[in-house]
Amino acid sequence: MQRSIRTAALTAILLVPLVTSAPADWRALNSAQPAASYTYQGTVRAVDARTGTLELITGVGMSLRVVRMTVAPTTRVAAGGAAPRLADLKPGDVVRAEGRRTTTGLVADRVEKLAVGTP
Amino acid sequence: MTRLRVVVVLGLVALGCQKPVKPGDPLPGLARAERDRFDRGKVVFDSVFTPETGLGPLFNATGCGECHENPAGGRGDEVEVHATAFHAPVCDPLAQEGGPVIQQHTTPALKQALGIDQEPFPPSATARAMRTSPVIFGRGLLDLVPDSVLLAYADPGDRNHDGVKGRPNRFLDGRIGRFGRKAFVPTLREFNAGAFAAEMSVTTPEQPTEESIGGKPIPTGVDPAADPEITQEALDLADDFVRFLAPPTPLKPGKDGRRGRELFSQTGCATCHIPTLRTGYSPVPALSNRQFAAYTDLLLHDMGADLADICLGLATPADFRTEPLLDLRGAEHFLHDGRATTLEQAVELHGGEGSGARDRFRALSAADRAALVAFLKSL
Repeated sequence: MQRSIRTAALTAILLVPLVTSAPADWRALNSAQPAASYTYQGTVRAVDARTGTLELITGVGMSLRVVRMTVAPTTRVAAGGAAPRLADLKPGDVVRAEGRRTTTGLVADRVEKLAVGTP
Repeated sequence: MTRLRVVVVLGLVALGCQKPVKPGDPLPGLARAERDRFDRGKVVFDSVFTPETGLGPLFNATGCGECHENPAGGRGDEVEVHATAFHAPVCDPLAQEGGPVIQQHTTPALKQALGIDQEPFPPSATARAMRTSPVIFGRGLLDLVPDSVLLAYADPGDRNHDGVKGRPNRFLDGRIGRFGRKAFVPTLREFNAGAFAAEMSVTTPEQPTEESIGGKPIPTGVDPAADPEITQEALDLADDFVRFLAPPTPLKPGKDGRRGRELFSQTGCATCHIPTLRTGYSPVPALSNRQFAAYTDLLLHDMGADLADICLGLATPADFRTEPLLDLRGAEHFLHDGRATTLEQAVELHGGEGSGARDRFRALSAADRAALVAFLKSL
């Protein structure tokens, strides 16, 4: 596969979860964001507060992918009204992460732990 | 009054003459444009992909119709492999190691590059699951049952003390799931789009990147087709084909079958295999606000240790979604992995929350058990 195609595909996967793995209301919410911003909603696979890395699992149906993000000291972490630390996140938590692509990779600006119904 | 009688009689005659829906037929009442999309979608569904048109480099099948066949949308005899890691209470679908669907074939180019015939089994997996291809009739109707209906059937605390709980699974982003043997996938659209990528490694505008090879990048030069490998239009058509596949009309039950239908409720089978569900609104009138024979609650139930395999989402290894009982008369294998070859065996293998109904089935006379099976075979 040619490099340009790979680049296009990589760009596309960053955008796709925004429109495919999210409830319609949040899809609309984010559609007005600048192209350089990315929003993922998925499950935490791994978090390392020491190195500031966060891995989310997202996907379409049974086709799943891992998204790796860097969490900077300035990244806001939220959970409802509370403001937990990155270290408080754990595998299995459902989060919404907003970030941007930089030369060093995807950097999270805001990570919000979501309350998921447990009927 | 006379005119009314005539109208009623004509209505009854029309109902009586309604053509039964056969496996593979479209939903009755589709508009012409919808029927056209069904027909065009079937062409995509029946397409056979090659490496040049997007297949692989890892894959389970060369086209949708390879596993959902006889007729299109029906059962195949393929069995695929899934793997995840369960570290209670968290389930890792092992996406970083190529999970949860572990493809069983490789293209010649990948085999030449890496010397493998299938995707490596994830080293971190705690379990392996075998999965038969389900029929996909009536999935467009199941897609439209409101979440609120499923939640109304859920009883995770067993408040009514019937031994049956039921709870929804949730996808990675927290939405309620309903498709797949573990009810992991929230919508039919995502299930279909994901299947192109997971089963054939055909990338789509909705999943435009190839899966890794057990977590490692695809070697250069083994995937000649540009991504996405099918167009949005082709994906939309295939999705509409599946969405518009009708559930086949059950056979008219004989005396035994009618007795079996009563026993189905009396033994408690119908507690989870809810006989009818109703769809919510859809812009497609043939799908909108329709009551249909579903025989499922689309919820997870603990089916006991003997059936347990992998976790997925909130589903523990022992949790399975209540299987919709559609087109049972065409089935030769039953349960998620096809281990049962008769309906009696399938009932006997129900454990956990299904054990009460199983025990009541066992307690029936031989004639009543046969009647219940006759009913199931009419579906």
